[in-house]
Amino acid sequence: MARMCGNSDTARLRGAFIAEVLANEPLCRDHWRMVLTLPQFPTTRAGQFVNLQCRPLDDLLGARQVDWPAGGTPRFTQPELTDRETMLRRPFSLAGRRDCDGKVELDVIYRTVGVGTHWMSELKPASSISILGPLGNGFRILPGKPSAVLVGGGVGIPPMLYLAEALTAGGKNIAAFLGARSAELFPLHLLTGGHVSPEGSPAECVAELAEWSVPTAVATDDGSLGFTGLVSEPFERWLDAGKLGADDVVVYSCGPEPMMQAVGDICIERGIECFLAMERHMACGMGTCQSCIVKIRDDSEQGWSFKLCCTDGPVFSAGDVIW
Amino acid sequence: MMADMSDEKTGPDLTVDIAGVPLANPLMTASGTCGYAQEYADFVDLKQLGAFVTKSITLRPRRGNDYPRVVETRAGMLNAIGLANVGLDIFLEEKIPQLRSLALPVFVNIAGTTIADYVAVAEALDEVDVVRGVELNISCPNVKEGGIQFGVDPRQIENITSAVRKACRNNKLIVKLSPNVSDIAVSARAAVEWGAEALSLINTFTAMAIDPETRRAVLSNGTGGLSGPAIRPIAVYMVRRVYTEVARDADVPIIAMGGIQFARDALEFLLAGATGLAVGTSLFVDPACLVKIRDGIGEYLARHGLSRVQDIIGAMED
Ligand SMILES: Cc1cc2nc3c(=O)[nH]c(=O)nc-3n(C[C@H](O)[C@H](O)[C@H](O)COP(=O)(O)OP(=O)(O)OC[C@H]3O[C@@H](n4cnc5c(N)ncnc54)[C@H](O)[C@@H]3O)c2cc1C
Ligand SMILES: Cc1cc2nc3c(=O)[nH]c(=O)nc-3n(C[C@H](O)[C@H](O)[C@H](O)COP(=O)(O)O)c2cc1C
Ligand code: FES
Repeated sequence: MARMCGNSDTARLRGAFIAEVLANEPLCRDHWRMVLTLPQFPTTRAGQFVNLQCRPLDDLLGARQVDWPAGGTPRFTQPELTDRETMLRRPFSLAGRRDCDGKVELDVIYRTVGVGTHWMSELKPASSISILGPLGNGFRILPGKPSAVLVGGGVGIPPMLYLAEALTAGGKNIAAFLGARSAELFPLHLLTGGHVSPEGSPAECVAELAEWSVPTAVATDDGSLGFTGLVSEPFERWLDAGKLGADDVVVYSCGPEPMMQAVGDICIERGIECFLAMERHMACGMGTCQSCIVKIRDDSEQGWSFKLCCTDGPVFSAGDVIW
Repeated sequence: MMADMSDEKTGPDLTVDIAGVPLANPLMTASGTCGYAQEYADFVDLKQLGAFVTKSITLRPRRGNDYPRVVETRAGMLNAIGLANVGLDIFLEEKIPQLRSLALPVFVNIAGTTIADYVAVAEALDEVDVVRGVELNISCPNVKEGGIQFGVDPRQIENITSAVRKACRNNKLIVKLSPNVSDIAVSARAAVEWGAEALSLINTFTAMAIDPETRRAVLSNGTGGLSGPAIRPIAVYMVRRVYTEVARDADVPIIAMGGIQFARDALEFLLAGATGLAVGTSLFVDPACLVKIRDGIGEYLARHGLSRVQDIIGAMED
């Protein structure tokens, strides 16, 4: 798939944009892939996220409807009583981007867990959704390190796809370790004829990563796919079996906190640089509400301060995070 | 500058006056939902507003409460940020230059744990050119000391308002009222009597969310402040009550806030008696809503053949 085929306009400033749903398809139990298209969107990096508005566009809610026909019944309730409306936006990592024929396509892979994500899963192609972003700092690609390892779990897997593409473009050797509860909750496609190693050894078996020639190991809690157990175990074994020096490799991880903590600790013990994409409940995503705090080590008197996941992060250096 | 601008080209005149500070239009940010302006630089052209209101500033920096600090509730949210802010010194050094570049009147919201703290911050701000007023936050429900304790007892409102009033030789004094009282007109009367030149209302309602699975409060602080569309009808009522009971006769302008999302919401507050309109929680959804609301008010006035927004302030039919 050609990622760049002709330049699309790049919006200069971040903001709220109206996107059209190009596709919204189930991937596996509770997981969906949504492709959004819009005429322009600012430059993005892997690890950044967008805030989706999980309700009809404001104009449909009568945002500008401040008048009513003389003698008619005022439509007071229209903006108030929308079915299953969420007020705040919902944050989602970018799982991919294509700039093509003067249009931008953005991928989001999401799991239905509550009101907002269920609303999203009912969106039909050609419907509109408001998207705010891009938000956050994104993963840094280090020129001095030829190898990269991706460790993703659950809804931390989507940003790893976008990152795999960026790292490939940067000419890196990449291996991926992905974890899920069970095979039916694994949101990516398996290559037909590909072999998912039960020992958790990376092989080209996951279609979305094989596209970038990234060998991938899969682990599930119940052993229904790949290695049985936590993905950090085969990751650690592979790291120690390999000949990668700490100077050559950088590890990127996104997923449940216990997983990221384990991955971070494994890297810190071995002096390997490691970046984690953190998740926090967010109200704004723009650095104003101060809700999404992460405890980060610093040289202040008490040795740490609160940083904002949405603007200082979501990507932090593993060694800086205080769990 | 304040002359009639209601010719066809410019549309209706949206200018208002807050205690002698002229604003191009009634729209402003609500404290604590807009940082110190720079954060929204990409997302909205803040120069389109009437004024900018900052996050609460305290004498010393505050780290704020532990995580989690917010939770969404039906048509609203609870927050217990705990007045996390950079503190007066960094505010003056780093944030004031940014605010100056907005070329807007700035109202600085101030908070503290003692009256002396409030006075010290107000003193320091009195000489800062872009700052045109201080908004006294005596209504924060999320800190153990200070904040709301000053805002729910008329005698405390008297003490703090009169003390800070003396520190405001150049700046206008705006008092931000708490809705966590049985009659907000009593608070308003005390504030106006002791020197408030404008009133802001409302701050958030003390509220709580409990997770039945863990049987614990969702927020680390236990309680939080409820904001957003859920509180708007109560806020509209409180603005109306303060307007008719106190503000109209005392000629003290009201800056209204509480759940404003759309132009029609803003119009409710104007008709109830508000001169200024602050938007908080809705900025989290789209900071540019401020400009849409401003334009929507203009369209409403034009459609009704009205030339000035000032003509609809308090103009609801009784
Ligand atoms: C930076 C970032 C990137 C994310 N990327 C993805 C992704 O690529 N795919 C994906 O499926 N999910 C992702 N999430 C999690 C996703 O935001 C939540 O699953 C979603 O907000 C749930 O909304 P809801 O209305 O369906 O659930 P509800 O439970 O009804 O939501 C209630 C409130 O809690 C918040 N919330 C609930 N779960 C989470 C969570 N895990 N993290 C943060 N806030 C939460 C919601 O935003 C909302 O404010 C990401 C979260 C963050 C912070
Ligand atoms: C996250 C958050 C932080 C807030 N911080 C402050 C603050 O520091 N000082 C203050 O006076 N009010 C603060 N407020 C209250 C708002 O300024 C406003 O009074 C209230 O939220 C009602 O308006 P809204 O419904 O438009 O948000 C805060 C509100 C929110 C949601
Ligand atoms: S989500 Fe508002 S500051 Fe991060």
